[in-house]
Amino acid sequence: MTMNMRDWTISLLFTSVITTLVANLIGNHMSIAESIPGVMILSAIAFIGIFLGKLIPLRIPAIVYVILTGLLVASPISPISQPIIDYTAKISFMAPITIVGTLAGIGLNFKSFISQSWKMVIVAILVFTGTFLIQAIFAQVFLNLTDTLDSF
Amino acid sequence: MKNKEQYQSIGKIIKENYRLYLAALVIVLVAELIGLKKLQIGSALIIIYPMLFAILISVLLGPDIFRFFKEKESKNASSLVLVAITPFMAKVGVLAGANLPKLVDVGPGLAFQELGHVGTIFLALPVAILLGIKKEAIGATSSTCRDKDYGLICHLYGANSPEARGALSIYIIGFLIGTIYIGFLASLVASMNIFHPLALAMASGVGSGVMMAAASSTLATIYPEYADQIVMLAGASDMLAAIVGIYFTLFISLPLTRKMYYWLEPRISPKHTRETKNMKVGS
Repeated sequence: MTMNMRDWTISLLFTSVITTLVANLIGNHMSIAESIPGVMILSAIAFIGIFLGKLIPLRIPAIVYVILTGLLVASPISPISQPIIDYTAKISFMAPITIVGTLAGIGLNFKSFISQSWKMVIVAILVFTGTFLIQAIFAQVFLNLTDTLDSF
Repeated sequence: MKNKEQYQSIGKIIKENYRLYLAALVIVLVAELIGLKKLQIGSALIIIYPMLFAILISVLLGPDIFRFFKEKESKNASSLVLVAITPFMAKVGVLAGANLPKLVDVGPGLAFQELGHVGTIFLALPVAILLGIKKEAIGATSSTCRDKDYGLICHLYGANSPEARGALSIYIIGFLIGTIYIGFLASLVASMNIFHPLALAMASGVGSGVMMAAASSTLATIYPEYADQIVMLAGASDMLAAIVGIYFTLFISLPLTRKMYYWLEPRISPKHTRETKNMKVGS
């Protein structure tokens, strides 16, 4: 991705920022004024994460830096963790993903999708079923063996 | 001066994409107004939420069906996906930070369940071979074939190789069917009551942000009392998959897939004829 930070910020503003406010209003019944601080905080974390991804020359997806930035500023060692947690709690986690589905849908190359054979559709279904089920089994076994669930 | 030549002006970017921004806003609005729908099918509670409606509406409006969006806008939209998903990832990060002690407790479990990514092989590879799929099966079943995995397969085998074609198929099908299906699968498995909600949450990290969002939002709706932990764990699992996933594919699942393919293919593929012919000639 070669987008510079200025273009990135404009893109974020016109896609995610505006639609998340709308989605949080309709889907989560939170007024736009109440949503603004939370959306701004999430956008700022995203900005810092993407910027770090550009600075750090490791071959790790930029998304990972965004999650780690969010983790750091909301963790107990952060002096501003409480306001960050409180304001972002007003944004439902479903609100920011509607735009993601929208853009991914617009970007889908439907022609190459329908040119796929039915055999590959079956294989794809099994690929996702296999990953999900085996991971669930491994996770369940581990949780049972270690009693980690007690801490939740 | 140089900067002005290198980068498009802000006005130009907005002019090029304003239709896309406006239409995306309208689609989000419509999808949110339709809202969350719950369907009871047998014992399974199927959750259809705004993101899925948004995907369906926007695919219909795309350049291949109703042609509301032009080819260029469709390309721009693809590159915007990675921008627009970042606030959701920031939210996942904040939830993880707020629950850090719990995350540390469950950390070894998260690492352990990542090994479950080999599940793609054991279920999908034998069926692919039985269906008569040849080397495409190696690319298709060695991982969930998200961006980085497809890149890896192309790098190893070349973009025109059968392996890369197989991975590309799953990449394309995975986005549309996979996203819708994984939410359905999560509901179905949850309704069986075998797994703890948090085990299912960890399983939701299949290596794709959109699919993780689909599976974890479904689970969070079914188990509202665990909603935050579910999203947090699914996100952590997906993050781990993003960091170690490519190495996992390279060093563990791809060699395993190849071994299994070359062992199984002569035994069960309906299209494997070469060897039997040679044997007849020999005898």
